[in-house]
Amino acid sequence: MGQIEWAMWANEQALASGLILITGGIVATAGQFTQWYFGAYSIVAGVFVCLLEYPRGKRRKGSTMERCGQKYMTKVVKLFGPLSRNYYVRAFLHLGLSVPAGFLLATILGTACLAIASGIYLLVSGVCGQPADAMTPQSLQPPAG
Amino acid sequence: MECWVLNESLSVILVLSWLGINLYLFVDTFHWYEEEESFFYTRVILGSTLAWARASAVCLNFNCMLILLPISRNLISFIRGASICCRGPWRKQLDKNLKFHKLVAYAIAVNATIHIVAHACNLEHYHQGQSSEARGLLAALSKLGDTSNESYLNPIRTFHTNTTSELLMTITGISGLMISLAFILIVTSSTEFIRQTSYELFWYTHHLFIIFFISLAIHGAGRIVRGQTPESLSRHNVTFCRDHYAEWQAAASCPVPQFSGKEPSAWKWVLGPVVLYVCERLIRIWRFHQEVVITKVVSHPSGVLELHMKKRHFCMAPGQYVLIQCPSISWLEWHPFTLTSAPQEDFFSVHIRAAGDWTRTLCRAFGAEGQAWKEPWNLPRLAVDGPFGAALTDVFRYPVSVCIAAGIGVTPFAAVLKSLWYRCCEPQPPLTLSKVYFYWICRDSRAFEWFADLLLSLETRMSEQGKTHLLSYHIFLTGWDENQVFHIALHWDENTDVITGLKQKTFYGRPNWNNEFRQIAYTHPGSSIGVFFCGPKALSKTLQRMCRLYSSADPRGVHFHYNKESF
Repeated sequence: MGQIEWAMWANEQALASGLILITGGIVATAGQFTQWYFGAYSIVAGVFVCLLEYPRGKRRKGSTMERCGQKYMTKVVKLFGPLSRNYYVRAFLHLGLSVPAGFLLATILGTACLAIASGIYLLVSGVCGQPADAMTPQSLQPPAG
Repeated sequence: MECWVLNESLSVILVLSWLGINLYLFVDTFHWYEEEESFFYTRVILGSTLAWARASAVCLNFNCMLILLPISRNLISFIRGASICCRGPWRKQLDKNLKFHKLVAYAIAVNATIHIVAHACNLEHYHQGQSSEARGLLAALSKLGDTSNESYLNPIRTFHTNTTSELLMTITGISGLMISLAFILIVTSSTEFIRQTSYELFWYTHHLFIIFFISLAIHGAGRIVRGQTPESLSRHNVTFCRDHYAEWQAAASCPVPQFSGKEPSAWKWVLGPVVLYVCERLIRIWRFHQEVVITKVVSHPSGVLELHMKKRHFCMAPGQYVLIQCPSISWLEWHPFTLTSAPQEDFFSVHIRAAGDWTRTLCRAFGAEGQAWKEPWNLPRLAVDGPFGAALTDVFRYPVSVCIAAGIGVTPFAAVLKSLWYRCCEPQPPLTLSKVYFYWICRDSRAFEWFADLLLSLETRMSEQGKTHLLSYHIFLTGWDENQVFHIALHWDENTDVITGLKQKTFYGRPNWNNEFRQIAYTHPGSSIGVFFCGPKALSKTLQRMCRLYSSADPRGVHFHYNKESF
């Protein structure tokens, strides 16, 4: 299983987690649940995660299918500097972002999913020997033409 | 044209029927939970979210029942084989099994979202019901169950807790979390991108469905959603007693209402399909133990391995595929390969291109990469399951057939063309098919040199039999460099093609489909022409358009019938 591109799956999982966090956050905030402010946090965290994960990074080898409208997001994401390039940083960032949402029932699924995505990124950077800074600035450029 | 309308409308009708059943189940269950008397007191605490949660639960049960059926390959092959009930357009619906599987998965995702949101709200309402600000009937209902002769309605017994820990202390909550996580992981690893880049990840993660179904079966065991028992309903008139909650303890006219949880029902829905799928897997294990004899190994250039195999009671039709497993590489992986031999041959063959981990290791194990020749007893053992899939035998049912293959889509046509050769040599039964046009579009013919060899041998044998008119093939190379251009231009006037060695010249660039279809329609006026395609979606759309454009409005005129193969 050495050739599996775990980073691609981590990206899909993190994007899905972002959407789940947003949904859970909206439910908690709109329903004014107990401790609904965690819900508001979830919405913000979810939007941030979605923005960060939307541009699909370049594969190690082979061609990469870009997501629709990726090039506009890429400009924004590059502003985040090492956050967007380094898998270790992403793994710990996602872990950190997921913790507060775990205090609220409506967003606990988002926490679990984001924690799993964080685990996969950690796997990519540590265990599988793929370089931690796999996402170089060039890799986030849209291909020419 | 009529066949196209019939085929497409049948798919639409089936999808609308499925959608209709979903809607009916949802609305009917919703209505029941909104009106049912035994849930009146539950609705006082929960409101409409009870009905939303239960209605989506019934739809989830229905869709989880359906989801295993489209991937029960042996069941589908069995239904396809039972041709009494399945003819023509109905059989074509069986080819869309994977599309239906995905559709049902989307429905599960939508219903799961509704279910989770509704139950999150329910738990919150239960929690609020225990707060000191709760008044009246709500407070009275939440307090039920505090004394020994009462059964509780509100599963959350105190306000001084949080809903998350309440959830995680129940079987229902934990199993619900497991189901959701398993489902989300399956979905994120099943996107088209992941399937194309890493098939193994998709394959292994999909096996989380085992956790999904086990958790689903035990999910209702917590019996958290409670309704009034029938005995209690007969003694406690809800319409009257709801306004006299302060007197429930004392008055004989309104005894304290008793509640019980609904028994789990998900297992009843999914038991049948799970048992069927277990049988599928048992069949695969049985087939794994059946001996497969490798009779020939051919290593083609550009990393293509051809394997000739024999297996007892194996019978195939052109266009079908098999699943191959090599225990010495991996015990868990079964990979699909299209069969490239004709049914008339006494062996079956596959052509395997070294494109990923597993295929590269297999090619190396068979000595494909220039290593020393391997003795037959040193070859790794293979297990074969199948054959599965739609047969391309319809090619022989039309008087004229047009076969179009793009890139790797050429593989099923190898079986068809070989079968054609055998069929045209047999005088009985006479062949309806009198002409085959074969179009092959590929970027680089090097990866498919074995197919060019096949065409060369077919060309030779047909000219020996005097049947050169039967097959007319056109090869289009869409990728070529300058050196090739000079070489081709230099040898343009020779009898055989300089790249393939075939008598029919190779074309460079993409075919002009308008010209091709116009020419075919002109040559065969009044015929029914079958068009068979295997390749990328974009080209499929173009060809469908061509079929519609060049089919005559006159029923006696030429008609193109489009058949897309889904592999």
